[in-house]
Amino acid sequence: MSVETVESSAGPTPKRGVSILFGLTLLGLLVVLWLLLGLATSAFWTPNNISNLLRQGAMTAILAVGQTFVIITAGIDLSVGAVVGFTSVIVAWLLAAGVPLWLALLATLLIGVLIGVFHAFGIVRMGLPPFIITLATLTSLRGIGLLITNGSTISITNETFTNFSRADFLGVPSLFWMVIVVAIPAYVFLHLSRFGRYLFAVGSNSEAARLSGVNVNRTIYLAYILSSTCAAFVGLLLASRIGIGNATQAEGWELQAIASSVIGGTSLFGAVGSVHGPLLGAFILATINNGANLLNVNSFWQRIITGVLIIVIVYFDQLRRRGAR
Amino acid sequence: MTGLQEVSHRHEGELEAAVPKGKPILELRGLQKNYGAVQALKPATITFLSGEIHAIVGENGAGKSTLIKLLTGVIPRTAGEVFWQGEPVLLASPNEAIARGINAVHQEVVLCPHLSVAANMFLGDEMNRRGLMRKRAMTDAAQGVLDDLGFSLPANATLGSLTIGQQQLVATARAAMRGTRFLIFDEPTAYLTRQESAQLFRLIRRLQGEGVTIVYISHRLEEVFELADRVSVLRDGTHVGTRDISATNEAELIALMINRTIEQIYHKEQFALGETIVEARGLSGPGFSDISLSVRAGEIVGLYGLIGAGRSEFALGLYGRHPLTAGEVFWQGRKVEIDNERKAMELGVALAPESRRDQGLCLNLPIGLNINLPVFRKLTRGLTINRAEEAANADRQIRDLQIKTPSRRVLASAMSGGNQQKIVIGKWLSHGAKLFIFDEPTVGVDVGTKAEIYRLFARLLEKGAGIILISSYLPEVYELADRLHVFRQGRLVASHDYRAASHEDVLAQAINA
Repeated sequence: MSVETVESSAGPTPKRGVSILFGLTLLGLLVVLWLLLGLATSAFWTPNNISNLLRQGAMTAILAVGQTFVIITAGIDLSVGAVVGFTSVIVAWLLAAGVPLWLALLATLLIGVLIGVFHAFGIVRMGLPPFIITLATLTSLRGIGLLITNGSTISITNETFTNFSRADFLGVPSLFWMVIVVAIPAYVFLHLSRFGRYLFAVGSNSEAARLSGVNVNRTIYLAYILSSTCAAFVGLLLASRIGIGNATQAEGWELQAIASSVIGGTSLFGAVGSVHGPLLGAFILATINNGANLLNVNSFWQRIITGVLIIVIVYFDQLRRRGAR
Repeated sequence: MTGLQEVSHRHEGELEAAVPKGKPILELRGLQKNYGAVQALKPATITFLSGEIHAIVGENGAGKSTLIKLLTGVIPRTAGEVFWQGEPVLLASPNEAIARGINAVHQEVVLCPHLSVAANMFLGDEMNRRGLMRKRAMTDAAQGVLDDLGFSLPANATLGSLTIGQQQLVATARAAMRGTRFLIFDEPTAYLTRQESAQLFRLIRRLQGEGVTIVYISHRLEEVFELADRVSVLRDGTHVGTRDISATNEAELIALMINRTIEQIYHKEQFALGETIVEARGLSGPGFSDISLSVRAGEIVGLYGLIGAGRSEFALGLYGRHPLTAGEVFWQGRKVEIDNERKAMELGVALAPESRRDQGLCLNLPIGLNINLPVFRKLTRGLTINRAEEAANADRQIRDLQIKTPSRRVLASAMSGGNQQKIVIGKWLSHGAKLFIFDEPTVGVDVGTKAEIYRLFARLLEKGAGIILISSYLPEVYELADRLHVFRQGRLVASHDYRAASHEDVLAQAINA
């Protein structure tokens, strides 16, 4: 027996166990919030409000999952809000030009893929920091979108498309179903496939990953493509929900997505993260906004509460990590 | 010596209460540390005499780091007492330890690489005049200290531009000018070249001459005999004895540390050499040029040289990490282009790189993930990984290599140096390879693990693999390599058969003396 054995058996507990525990804590927080809001206002537990809440949280949740892939590689994607606005313009533009719906959807998702390719190209080939390249696309995509629409909005007349976001399936809003449609493959990808392991390895030590035969560049491409494609998908959902394409929509959603991811236990230093964490994070944020509206709390306060919550949750997460060491 | 005194005079108040040489300056009485139910350091009673160089040896996990952490106030003790100059002290925080003059120089330099040497030496203790820093004065003073110590280092250079060894010297100079009375060195020579080690030893002796008590922790016993006055041995958290250096020998210390004799450490078995696995002809690339050598099945080829001689660069070139600029590689007689790491792996090359922290491991990920990283492709069934096989593979390596961990899910960062090295090696055992390149496999590794690693070499050779062993520690390559190549400044300057040349000759070739 050696001291190392001793220290480690008293120290870091199995990672998966901790991650589940943390997930349960977040879930507990969400349930407590719901119970408290149910007691505080009768308007909360109404089918209408719950549907509304699920719709509100759905789009942030999908963005946050994509963002999490990038953050696990120790990167960041600041462009996702701009991509949402931009792709809402693209799909509206294509539909207005008479392009068939399926083709418009596919083309818009493809735009998302290409934006991700561009980000990874900038990082891998040009050596730009992720913060810089995605900040640059944040501002230029908004500009391109405004050029296309000439600063106005494009209305969407295709009713199949706009009805989608209002529809329910089995009593649950279709937008929430979309979260599940994204989350299940995302879970399989991140936690069950080797590419998920590679994301963690690259985020932890890219040189060690490279020397172990991991194609680091391809892994980075994969992360940014997934993030942008998730954002393009959310662009479609948003366009369907508001019935227009507008390049200035989804302002600041990138920060919502990053906040959800971080609240969900993702480490901005890389190599720590999950799929369920950011989902719970997104719905916690949505619940706070929803509750604040119902309770007539000044919307300025919502922002403050969100900020405080980020600090509190991440601080407790840090304490837990330190305690585990 | 003037330099040191001029700069450290500001600490004079703390320096006054000196203890006469040879009298106890620091006494541990039943000092003990438990983590949970387990004893990391069993009650230890050790006396450090003023002005002595006191070595502490022991395998990894013997309790040396625990002892350092207790003495420098990083962790609280569980029980026992510490007397500093006869007074009981708490050592509750690093600040308390530093204020009393207890300081440590760590194996990995913890300074600011972007600041200048002078700025680092004065960090936290800058010279000011009316709230503004006296940059010129600090640079001059730092240069004075460095010159005085005989280090040819510019005080205005950026710390990060120096070698690790030079940075270590800066760290030591920094501790020396802060009125340190008791200085702990934690494996300081692990990353140093021979010249740098020699400079460090001069500095240590000089500090001793000024009355500083030195605690010197090292795996290298020859250093202990070169430097120390007394030596204490730890084993499994127990203080098993303290000896005067003149009254002991290497064999006794090793016996105290591990109950194993020295002949058993450099475990070598001769195997009939088989076909040529790899042959490099006139290979050139970043940091090495015109290297020709070959490795046969059952053979250990040693690459010896100083750090920076181009051995690791050659290995990385052969592994496809850096592009080759000239030369040819033949793999089992067939000409191949190895232009990326994946290709090298698929041919059957495995590389355990020089730096575990920077190249070898994903430290904040579980042991299991690290072990499986090269083989996830093999573990994949359809879209997903076969979790049972993943677990079984990791557990098998942990068991076969005797990696001391309660679970494959423990983070690699929680492991000691020796166990981390086993993880790096374990990665490649599950992948399977014909040619294993081990770059400094035993740096920061305890004697017991070293012996295990050498035994592992024999097992690999027996299965028909070839090994390239890179080491800066001459006895290691000397005793193990069937063929020894000496590198100097990126070139292969000499080759010897097993034990065909003397240590002195090989060393002279490496440093061109």
